[in-house]
Amino acid sequence: MSTFLEGVKVACTGSAATPLVLLGNFEVEDEWARDEVGLPSVAGRASAAIVNRMDEFAVLLAGGGDYVVLKSAPDPDYLSYLDGLGLDLPTILVTDGQDPANTVSVDALRSPRLLSELKKLDAHLFPHGMSTVEEQLCELTGLAPALPPAALVKSVNSKIYSRRVATELGLPQAHGWACETVTEFAAAADAARASLAAGRRLGIKDAFGVSGKGIMVVDDERRLDQLVRMVTRRAERSGDQRIALVVEEWADKALDLNYHFTVGRDGSVRFDFVKEAITENGVHKGHHIPARISPEHYAQIVQCAQLLGERLAADGFHGVVGVDAITTRDGGLLPVLEINARNNMSTYQTRLQETFMRPGMVALARQYHLTLMGHVSFAQMRDRLGGLLFTGQQGLLVNNFATVNAAATDDGRSYSGRLYGLLIAHSEEELTALDASIAERVQKEELVNV
Amino acid sequence: MTVTVATAERQEIFDAIVSALDEVLRQDLSGVTEQTRLFDDLNLDSTGVLGLLMALEDALDMQVDPESLEQRHLESVGALASFIAESR
Repeated sequence: MSTFLEGVKVACTGSAATPLVLLGNFEVEDEWARDEVGLPSVAGRASAAIVNRMDEFAVLLAGGGDYVVLKSAPDPDYLSYLDGLGLDLPTILVTDGQDPANTVSVDALRSPRLLSELKKLDAHLFPHGMSTVEEQLCELTGLAPALPPAALVKSVNSKIYSRRVATELGLPQAHGWACETVTEFAAAADAARASLAAGRRLGIKDAFGVSGKGIMVVDDERRLDQLVRMVTRRAERSGDQRIALVVEEWADKALDLNYHFTVGRDGSVRFDFVKEAITENGVHKGHHIPARISPEHYAQIVQCAQLLGERLAADGFHGVVGVDAITTRDGGLLPVLEINARNNMSTYQTRLQETFMRPGMVALARQYHLTLMGHVSFAQMRDRLGGLLFTGQQGLLVNNFATVNAAATDDGRSYSGRLYGLLIAHSEEELTALDASIAERVQKEELVNV
Repeated sequence: MTVTVATAERQEIFDAIVSALDEVLRQDLSGVTEQTRLFDDLNLDSTGVLGLLMALEDALDMQVDPESLEQRHLESVGALASFIAESR
């Protein structure tokens, strides 16, 4: 049976044997949003350094014949650990320098040595998501793009596109409005007052916001009016009446879901999986595998994936697609909250699932928040985790270590780190117990000074 | 840099910020001081900042344009308080 990635290679390049150059340009939405007008934005975001080091996830999606470009070399003990699990690792190429504020793609563009290495490869570039930055990389290196042109990829990633396609296909969705001008937004806000009056909340979403971010939840008219005034004032100042927002009634969610399919250049659609997403305040925190949903909902999701895949193919898209969906408390399913026609967090777990999960096993992909005072090596983390670290049976399989130290500062103040891993167990009870033990162990105060 | 709460106005702004943060974050804010960092210590995100500004507009009866805020104004509660004091 072919692997997930072999299927992607066939879909995007025509052959399962094509070598790929993987690039983990997470939050590619920021590139897509560059010329767009969304919610009023404020300067600065502390987590950019950590997000940019999510590039290391690509190591565990790629296979032995592939290449991965990273912002810096992984911790050698981390690589030995992965090697020790029997994983056939890709060739790792590193950018000439790295600026924490840059995505791996931007650092790669500024790396003459790396660019000359890439020129020698006969491979396809398979980024996390395709933007004009990755197109430039293809032009500079001669690498063939595994994905369609950036403008097309951007267009199908708009939340406005998601709403329109769901409407066109007759798929159930939350009552809402797509807004492309300030006037349309003001009119949508007016119409949405009835929802607020009926005690419902509204989500106002940037069409090109990062999944789970760029959403303002409003539960009273005063805030809604205030937002309309802010947006109107900005348009008056800039003279730009464009906007790209979606206003939706906030559904009464039971479970968050993420399902995944792959669209081929020939228009074929492969359903990959559905996972239960774990979110906190709307922000993605991880996945539970398998999703705890009814067979009926599962069947509906498979059918939606087919319909959406065919629609995306008709618009010229090929590549991997993740869709966020929810089940509602009244037993319903809203199958299209947003279409993410790029790699999803769940994409990066596929190889580990294939390799290590047997029938009946359960897994939790999650992140542990760390507060650190100094650099923590993988060897130190391994010692800290002890028997909780996955070595072939159960435990935490660390699937990104770069994010632990990404935000390190040299001013002596504490910094945040994220430890990402796939927690694998033989039962729900074992999974819950492992999760609690790991959380307790990595969040102990002593880690602050290791 | 240590900013001291020196005046009644400053205290009013600080209190308004804490109460606006409470509205947006709904978490325990008992340890918040002027030195508390909005992004690093409180995990505020950009949409959270927008909500924070709206709540401050209400509490202090003023208008804030998000675009006029710079990164340095959002480094800490104290930095935001100084920005608000200058904008009023």
